[in-house]
Amino acid sequence: MAEVAKAVNRERSFARQVAKLQLGEGETFHGETILAVTKALLQSGVSYVGGYPGAPVSHLMDVLADARDTVLAPLGVQFEASASEAGAAALLGASIQYPLRGAVTWKSIVGTNVASDALSNLASAGVVGGALIVLGDDYGEGASIMQERTYAMAMKSSIPLLEPRTHMPKIVDMIERGFELSEASHLPAMLSLRIRAAHMTGEFVCRDNRSPAFGINSPLPGANYDYERIVLPPSTYVQEKAKFEERLPAARRFIVDNELNETFGPSGGRMGIILQGGAYGTMMRGLTLLGAADAQGVTKVPLLVLNVTYPLVPEQIQDFLAGKDSVLIVEEGAPAFIEQQIKAFAQEAGLVCRIHGKGLLPEAGEYTADTVRDGLRLFLEGLPRTDLTETAKSRAGALQQDVDSARAQLNEPIPPRPPGFCTGCPERPVFTALKLLERERGAMHISSDIGCSTFATLPPFNVGSTVLGYGLSLASGGAVGPSLGTPTVAVMGDGGFWHNGLTTGAINAHWNGHDGVLVVLENGYASATGQHHLPSTGSTPWGRQIQVSTERTLKGLGIEWVRRINSYDLGGSLKTLREAFDKRGAGLRVVISDQECMLARQRRERPAKAADKAAGRPVTTQKFGIDEEVCVSDHSCMRVNGCPSLTLKHTEDPLKDGPIAHIDKTCVGCGLCGEIVETVGLCPSFHRTERFANPNLLRRLGDWLNRGLMRALGAS
Amino acid sequence: MTAPQPISVIIYALGGQGGGVLSDWLVEAAHLAGYRAQGTSIPGVAQRTGATNYYVEIYPEREPDADPVFCLFPSAGDVDLVVSLEPMETGRALNAGYVTLETTVVTASDRIYSIGEKVVPGDGTASASPVLTALEAAAKKLVSLDIGAMRERPNATFFGAIAATGVLPFEKDSCRQAISATGIAVESNLAGFEAGLVAASAPERSDDEDPATAPETAPPSLAELTAQFPQQLRAVVDQAISRLIDYQDEAYARLFVDRLRMVYAADESAGGAIQEFRLACAIVPRLAAWMAFEDVIRVAQLKTRPERLRRIREECGASAGEIVRVVDFLKPGRAEFAGLLPAWIGRQLSRPESGRPRGGIAFKITTSAPWGYALLKVLAGLRPLRRGMMRYADEQDAIDRWIEAVVGVASSDYELACRLVDVARWVRGYGDVRDRGLSRMEALCIDWREKLADDPAALSVEITRALDEALLSPDSNCAPVA
Repeated sequence: MAEVAKAVNRERSFARQVAKLQLGEGETFHGETILAVTKALLQSGVSYVGGYPGAPVSHLMDVLADARDTVLAPLGVQFEASASEAGAAALLGASIQYPLRGAVTWKSIVGTNVASDALSNLASAGVVGGALIVLGDDYGEGASIMQERTYAMAMKSSIPLLEPRTHMPKIVDMIERGFELSEASHLPAMLSLRIRAAHMTGEFVCRDNRSPAFGINSPLPGANYDYERIVLPPSTYVQEKAKFEERLPAARRFIVDNELNETFGPSGGRMGIILQGGAYGTMMRGLTLLGAADAQGVTKVPLLVLNVTYPLVPEQIQDFLAGKDSVLIVEEGAPAFIEQQIKAFAQEAGLVCRIHGKGLLPEAGEYTADTVRDGLRLFLEGLPRTDLTETAKSRAGALQQDVDSARAQLNEPIPPRPPGFCTGCPERPVFTALKLLERERGAMHISSDIGCSTFATLPPFNVGSTVLGYGLSLASGGAVGPSLGTPTVAVMGDGGFWHNGLTTGAINAHWNGHDGVLVVLENGYASATGQHHLPSTGSTPWGRQIQVSTERTLKGLGIEWVRRINSYDLGGSLKTLREAFDKRGAGLRVVISDQECMLARQRRERPAKAADKAAGRPVTTQKFGIDEEVCVSDHSCMRVNGCPSLTLKHTEDPLKDGPIAHIDKTCVGCGLCGEIVETVGLCPSFHRTERFANPNLLRRLGDWLNRGLMRALGAS
Repeated sequence: MTAPQPISVIIYALGGQGGGVLSDWLVEAAHLAGYRAQGTSIPGVAQRTGATNYYVEIYPEREPDADPVFCLFPSAGDVDLVVSLEPMETGRALNAGYVTLETTVVTASDRIYSIGEKVVPGDGTASASPVLTALEAAAKKLVSLDIGAMRERPNATFFGAIAATGVLPFEKDSCRQAISATGIAVESNLAGFEAGLVAASAPERSDDEDPATAPETAPPSLAELTAQFPQQLRAVVDQAISRLIDYQDEAYARLFVDRLRMVYAADESAGGAIQEFRLACAIVPRLAAWMAFEDVIRVAQLKTRPERLRRIREECGASAGEIVRVVDFLKPGRAEFAGLLPAWIGRQLSRPESGRPRGGIAFKITTSAPWGYALLKVLAGLRPLRRGMMRYADEQDAIDRWIEAVVGVASSDYELACRLVDVARWVRGYGDVRDRGLSRMEALCIDWREKLADDPAALSVEITRALDEALLSPDSNCAPVA
């Protein structure tokens, strides 16, 4: 791996767009949220930034890495690619004792879970420099994790939670206000962006970037000691009181004084809607389609938009509720923390207002435009009849009718399309081998992990018994092996290994003498997030050469049985895996597959090949193919492979049983098809073609001879 | 409350098709033309080969009085344009309510199969036709494009097709500028864009099936053989006959016809005429496929077809000056070699050893080079000796037992006989796959007579179970590999 990953080679490079981070006062920024967030951090005068990649904020780490030398360093801003979210949260410790503004980012809820120890301590100690956590809330369509709310974490640690309207100027403004809120309340703050908001494009008018007062270019006067900031009794009791008696009240004052939450539409009225900032777009669309608003933000229904959802300000809510008979709360996810609080505020103030929420909107699941519109329709239908409710009713009915009659045209089921490994992925052959090993040794308990390798739990492999968290596969099989009486297998990527797998998994298993096999898929990157660099990659995200060896690390712990495999050598991999599985009583056995992520490899090799070809240098290209006449449509090959380029092709041959196997032009020639034939003896229809462009003289001569002989044999 | 609504566009793509670039082009073109636009995407885990979607809103007025309020989600019944690079994904959009009579649809017509469709033995694919027909009726306008015919990534062509629909408020030149502004593969993308403009103006609906190869017909000397069968059988019988002549010789084709005649007679006497001779129809392809069993000789014959190397050259897109080498992967086992010997010697060599991996020798043969080609040519040349080989004898025995069983069962249970024909799907594939299938088949064909007499219901259950297993869990008792 070391020799291939010297250069920075991520899925997305922002090098070209980083110039936008330099825009000055009054200039218009036009681009993605991720870049806008970075610009807002620079406008806020941060001293340090860090984080751990994870969708939907993976690319924030890319932007920061790409901007590190050209933008961040000249401004005096420090950037660190943290080893985990816990490391990133701990980085915010700089703001406890010093007036340093800092921001970190990760995927929530999972990253927040990993970070929660540091976050609890941070919130208890309190900060003097603004501390902001930019969360990519992986919730709803496209999410890859369990569905939970970040809100509970905000509540339990008293961390203000910002969920801004998905309007780029508002997002930028809330980041800047977030630092001020954090400093005013001495609490760290979190800003949450849902998947679609994180990938949004838009524009805003910039301000100048600010150099931090203290940072890498202007050192602090000296180190501090202040026992009140230590999380140990008696400070902890003082801190706990401060959170509820000083800090949260200060946060509420700041929210009101700076009008962080917004109202839209007529003041007064008998009904209204309270919603999370993130739901503003869907609510406005719902109101517009039902005739109660227009596309330029004019609404007939009063709205209270909570750009800060925690803490709520009771007086602000009570003011909005006063005089209203019915109010709808739009709060995505469960439990309905906001709705419960608002009901309590109404009761405390003696307000007689019917508060709707989870009854009209679904208890759980993403609030899409259609979900919100449907809840809105139910809310309006339940109100006394007015022009507004009648219009809404007829518009909703007409829309539904249009949709129903269109849908009625299609009665065929649509096949599901689960994700899988990419074409040529080096992880796929490992699961082919494991599947073959299961045919020999019977079903095995295989603990899966987080990352691309989780796709093995889907067809065609269906390999994997549990998923417990990032880097936790090995630990999660700890109690299984002894009860099953057989060795267990744990699979994790190199991302998971460095995140948590080394300590929680390998050390723990070695120390406790687990009888099992750990398979580390070392493809060089945290690939699922977009090929982010890891300690074993060979370089940092900004290109500094450094490598931590997985193998030497394991051997250093005293784990003796460590083998490397080339996963594309299926027979060899199977042999090593079999040996590892059968080596009972030898403690933990580790098998490291060390082939590079194919996306990264192609990104590097393809342009190089194209350049060679254009320059007239010899270039060899491999691809696999299938002889149509030989294939018998059994598709056994698909059931142990699943490569996207290995697909089907309909044939006119009525004697065939169905479509035949076909390898399309996206094949990268990884060789697994051939290895499967060799190992399983599956089918003779596969062939490899090698194309030699710009052949040298010797090869041309050989080809000339070859063709002559072949003609003589009647081959062409 | 008279402000116009944003124009809403959903783009469905599969990972790697360039849907993100297409979405960026749209937003950039709007920006260059002075329109406000917002784009977003749902890549998530789907970025690795699964379905991804992008959503763009464009405000149709250049200088609105106030900031337009965009939404990050499409709304059912309120989508102006659905663009989809795979027809089933377009069907998904229709199911989600995003296609109505207000919606223009630009979709690929050719399928990219999902893994669930691929792993099914036989045909597990869903056809795009019903989806395209439904879209025709459900949408305002349907433009379907054949991606398979496109040379490069399809996104630029789709961009052209979108521009041609007239849904966008800006000129085509803004689209061209957006492509140029990206600075990546500008020339080929602009060419793709122009091709899309043309394609959408003259849309042609194409099916996902590949063009037909010329049907094989039986030689005149055997034409009278097919005449004895009813009309619906003749075309396939013709093909079967010429396949078996290619496989062995005319006498072998006559053997096929003799076997078919037995089944046809049984079909007729079981009253098959009113069932359109379903039994005989079903057995033609299965019997022909089985009789053309792929032994070493057959594989060598197919791999030394004179046109093969030229076809492979074309398939891999080699240009004139490039040299192409073809390497074949073969792993004949002991059984395959033994099969080539006369039965009395072969039996000695291939005694079944239970529980032991099958094994075999893995060969990588360069069939584009003289020695490799010649080796296969020699193997293919063993064809005249096939009748004396063990494998031939074994297969013929198994076929005869099967035909006998089908004929026998047909007289008492027509439906069950049809299923027994279908069970022959077990006899497929190579090596271990075929061995397992064959023994599964054998078990059914051994004592069917007793079972039919004693407990016909049990026989029916047994055959049906074997058939279900062939379809649903074909690898249920795979042998370990060497």
